Amino acid sequence: MSGSGLLEGRVALVVGGASGLGEAISHRFAREGATVVVGDIDGKAAQSVADAVVAAGGNAVAVEADVTKRAEVEAMVDEAARLGPLRVLVCSAAIETSGTVVECTNEDWDRVLGTNLKGPFLSMKYALPVMASNGGGSVILMGSVVGIMAAPGLAAYAASKGALVNLGKQAAIEHAPDQVRVNTVAPSATTSGLFMRFSDQTDDPDGLRERVARGTPMRRLGTADDVCDLVTFLASDASSYLSGVVIPLDGGMAARRP
Amino acid sequence: MTTPTAELDYERLLPGRVALITGSGSGQGRATAQLFGRHGARVVVVDFNDVGAHETVKMVEEAGGEAFAVHADVSVLAECEAMIEATIDRYGRLDILYNNAAVQMSGRLVDCTEEDWDLTIATNLSAIFWACRAGIPHMLEGGRGSIINTSSTLGIIGSEGYAAYGAAKAGLLALTKQIAAEFGPTVRANVIAPGSIDTPRFRKVLDKTPGADQFVEGLKRSIPMRRLGEADDIAAIALFLASDMSSYITGAVMPGDGGMAAFR
Repeated sequence: MSGSGLLEGRVALVVGGASGLGEAISHRFAREGATVVVGDIDGKAAQSVADAVVAAGGNAVAVEADVTKRAEVEAMVDEAARLGPLRVLVCSAAIETSGTVVECTNEDWDRVLGTNLKGPFLSMKYALPVMASNGGGSVILMGSVVGIMAAPGLAAYAASKGALVNLGKQAAIEHAPDQVRVNTVAPSATTSGLFMRFSDQTDDPDGLRERVARGTPMRRLGTADDVCDLVTFLASDASSYLSGVVIPLDGGMAARRP
Repeated sequence: MTTPTAELDYERLLPGRVALITGSGSGQGRATAQLFGRHGARVVVVDFNDVGAHETVKMVEEAGGEAFAVHADVSVLAECEAMIEATIDRYGRLDILYNNAAVQMSGRLVDCTEEDWDLTIATNLSAIFWACRAGIPHMLEGGRGSIINTSSTLGIIGSEGYAAYGAAKAGLLALTKQIAAEFGPTVRANVIAPGSIDTPRFRKVLDKTPGADQFVEGLKRSIPMRRLGEADDIAAIALFLASDMSSYITGAVMPGDGGMAAFR
């Protein structure tokens, strides 16, 4: 294990921690000394991430939970709280569907809002009081640049991520006196997030990725390491006076927009 | 181009980086100079108060860091350019430019004198433009650069009595985004927008305020986190933005305000 122990002695619940960015965050948190609870709807995948963290010398357990189900989220938070002082919550579970406002089906709408918006709501609903009783903590919501500026064909996804921004500000204001901070990370396309799956479904995945990289001031896609560095900063005491903010992790894309 | 790395040493985030910090002879700038020094940076301490600047250099050195003092009044174009030159003369490169110096004069628009307006705009907006214009070519040459500009909650929201200050701090947001769009991928530029920070300057203003204790209590109640910020809170954000931890973040605004901006 390398790392500087920035999260030593803390329990961190990573919801959606079994794949993509959540998986990378789980590993990074463990390297920084946290006891990681890998929460995911895919219990098997969560277990294999937890096993990998332990094999690398860290502490982790897996919990299977569907974030749209109240009782399952409550049980997941209870499990995390049993392991020690729960101080960090990352809401990284998300799904993406394409379709304009007119094309988006009722089922897709409900599914996307359920996972991307109600999931973080339920997770915070149960985790915030626990964190407050532990003397404070940090919540990191995984938003998206699409929650700040719109993108054609992502109606439900953009709505869910836009709403998440304000839910985060609401929670930040309400729980700041409890020393619980709530911030939102807004990544653009990353090489290990939903964008890869999304671009795979297009005719020319590589071409699309290249065009997106070219259109970004930093001239590349984001990486899991970029996300992990920012999330670790927000989880740690280095960001102790930051709350209720939305941080674009987008290589400068948002700077070009209102 | 800054490449991301999984193996950043979080205890030594700025190894060998040359970091110029304006207004680092006291308060916020000094706290940041000390933190940057501890993380391995070579710190250029710029201030028009020479005594303060030399004190900061001593503090950085006593903590095992490297620093040197440069006299400059950033409201004067020639002195802004000279501080960049002095940095290049000494170290041959510039990796981090933290524009922290600022003046704050209050007064409603109709009461704001032309002199106050000119000084506020020169120090809080033009100086940053001058420093960036002189510094960016060296960053491009060195293959790396991180610019951190200090705005304010008052650059985002309006507040009675800060016409010139608010205008300058808001202009800085646009200037920074412009730099981010123009000089990526080599140079990144971001903004810190502090709220109410308990610095010597804040205390100086407070000393002239009747009923200061009551004022501070009211101010704290208006901040979601129920406390004033400390210089170290903002220094930690500056360190994040200066280092490779933020290698994909540019054109962003980081409020350091205990949640105040979330209200707006």
